[in-house]
Amino acid sequence: MTTTEYGIVYAVHIITVQFGSVVSKVCEFLLRRGPLSSREISRLVEPDMSYNQVKDILCLLIQHNCVQAFSIEPPDGSESKATVQYIVLCNNILHRVRYNKFSRIVNEELDFKCGAVLDGLLSNGRLTLGQLIERDKDSGKPTGSEEIRESLQKLVADRFVERIPSPEPVLGNKEQELAKKKGSKAAKILKEPETLEECVLEAATPVDAIRFPHIFEQDSNSPLADNDSNITEGKRKQRDADSSDHNNEVIWRPNFEEFIRRLRHKACVEIVKERRDEGCAIVLKAMLEVGRSHEKKVKTDKSVPMSLSSIYEEVMKTEAGRTLVLERVEACLDQLSATSSYLPAFVIEMDDSYVVDFKSILSVAQKDEVQAVVMRKYGKEAFRMFRYLSQEGRFVETNKIADAALTEKKDPPQILLKMWKDGYLHMQKLVVTGSYVPFLLWKVNKLIVTKQMLDEMYHASLNLSLRLAHELELEKEVILLSSRERDNKIKAKGLLLSSTRFKLDDAIMIFHDF
Amino acid sequence: MDKRKRPDPKSLGGDINEQHEKKVLDMIRKNQGMGATTSELKSDKTIPPTLITRLVNSLKKKDLIREVPNMNNKGYKHFIAMEFQTSKELTGGDWYTDGSLDLSKIEDLKTKCVMILERQRHRHRVVTLDVICGYFDKQENLSVDQTKEILKNLILDNEIMEVKSNGLNEFAATRIGELCYKLAGKNSGNGEARAGTSFASMPCGACPSIGLCSPDGVISPGTCVYFQKWLDF
Repeated sequence: MTTTEYGIVYAVHIITVQFGSVVSKVCEFLLRRGPLSSREISRLVEPDMSYNQVKDILCLLIQHNCVQAFSIEPPDGSESKATVQYIVLCNNILHRVRYNKFSRIVNEELDFKCGAVLDGLLSNGRLTLGQLIERDKDSGKPTGSEEIRESLQKLVADRFVERIPSPEPVLGNKEQELAKKKGSKAAKILKEPETLEECVLEAATPVDAIRFPHIFEQDSNSPLADNDSNITEGKRKQRDADSSDHNNEVIWRPNFEEFIRRLRHKACVEIVKERRDEGCAIVLKAMLEVGRSHEKKVKTDKSVPMSLSSIYEEVMKTEAGRTLVLERVEACLDQLSATSSYLPAFVIEMDDSYVVDFKSILSVAQKDEVQAVVMRKYGKEAFRMFRYLSQEGRFVETNKIADAALTEKKDPPQILLKMWKDGYLHMQKLVVTGSYVPFLLWKVNKLIVTKQMLDEMYHASLNLSLRLAHELELEKEVILLSSRERDNKIKAKGLLLSSTRFKLDDAIMIFHDF
Repeated sequence: MDKRKRPDPKSLGGDINEQHEKKVLDMIRKNQGMGATTSELKSDKTIPPTLITRLVNSLKKKDLIREVPNMNNKGYKHFIAMEFQTSKELTGGDWYTDGSLDLSKIEDLKTKCVMILERQRHRHRVVTLDVICGYFDKQENLSVDQTKEILKNLILDNEIMEVKSNGLNEFAATRIGELCYKLAGKNSGNGEARAGTSFASMPCGACPSIGLCSPDGVISPGTCVYFQKWLDF
């Protein structure tokens, strides 16, 4: 989904708070105008911003994984050189408010030492092993270079940390790219990335063996060092000057994809736990463990098929799972595969295998979130009408909605119009010969509603952040005056605002990242 | 010379009027519970259109017809013969009385339905459609269709859910495949109210002015009265 208006405003706010308004100006410019070269940026963004200043800002944003450089191969026969352009990675900017969630995952799955290494990478954007060791030495309680190395190895093995992508990948024009991949037939079969950002990221990302190396060496003779054999087919071979530093050490950064995948799985387990029961949640968790390494992308609709025995084997590994016998696991799978009028199937059973339907699980949470907002914003009658239209999934005339919802005939038009104006419903006019007044038809369009909700949630997150800053400003003034009680009250307000923002971010991920 | 008395113009007109009136009444009676609208009566070419209103008023005065608004098309009025019951298409349905929805009756029936399910929840059992229809038929004289409408409304309210029996556990006393109902959401007893709906629980989630709100605008997070109330504890 393309970024909404308040998605951009929120991203710019995050950069402003963390890096200042000068940096955020460049960021906003790129977000609104699309990819540009550094010369174009310095010419257009601010008259008194020098070219060198723009370059420094871009370096800073690249360091923190918010911007990716790339170039496009000039057409065949052209003598012009490929110009380097810069594209903002909006998702990575929005991830910056989730760093404590990422840290928590590592602290729980691995240990606090790994968590400390990850924190270093999160706060600095990207570091070499040497820099991590230096950072550890400068800290109050150093753990030692061996511990740091081991922790980094664990993080890479679990894919929480990755080697940084290619600093300036070159994109060929589309036909050339596909033609290189073994002929036009293959080109039709191969799935093409949708947006320019996806193309750039795909081109920049190294193969898994380079991205998550098993062998952990630092010197230039290691398999990690840049040489032609490590660069994937189809990508322009060039010296990867910045994916290792001047000492030829590998540069590492957090792998946001893996964190989002883990959070996605966690959210799915929670959804199943609430809608079914603990047993089903344990079984689903096991299924997600089995299928995780086979997931090709984060937002995968369905998992790979898995057998009952592989699921049961995984269930047995957990403490909670050991209390479940095979029959109970089978019963849970039956429950997860069942469809009812109020819940879709979360698992698909086919030929003695089971497949997790991620889309189905997440759609339940999305639906709940939207309906809760409709209830709060427009009232119970609107809630009924909205649920009716969601179930029908087609255009329905006003009176029919009134009959289904058992409301007075005069009420639906106003309520439905209000929801339509706010972007929650789709409306069509039907003119019938002989009737003076056209019929109004209404429908819930899931894509439109999702986009509307997401934009409002970004807006709300921004508001929480601004209000928190406002309250902290007030605290500074009030703290000089009196009362411990007032002081506690302000602290409680701050806690409410930040915890609400934390939970709202989970809802944003359900609509955007998962 | 005898003057022949001229025929009384009113009596002649009176005869014709009576004939027209009878014709109008017949047209209205022909459609029974649906009656006829003014435009339908005017479509008969044998009756002068200018007379229709007078004829209809005369029939109303004689208590032979009544005027009923069309609930589905407020601009139209139907004239219905007194001996027929108004069709549901005009009244809006079973739940309308004198042209307005009997909301208190509907809410009362819904409350009773929830109470039945609440009682069974404590016994860890669901309630079948047959049982609910049987209860409402006996106690409230509701048809099966009317009972189904009440249940559908409760499903739309997310108070209850419709499930198909699998014959196990809470469905042990029911046939496999039978339609059953149980409480949903916060009434279901499965745990506390869903905590995932975070956006709805904060001021911006219900704000009618979110479209006008901006960081530096007149309505902003810093000046927002809803935020002020929410944080005022």
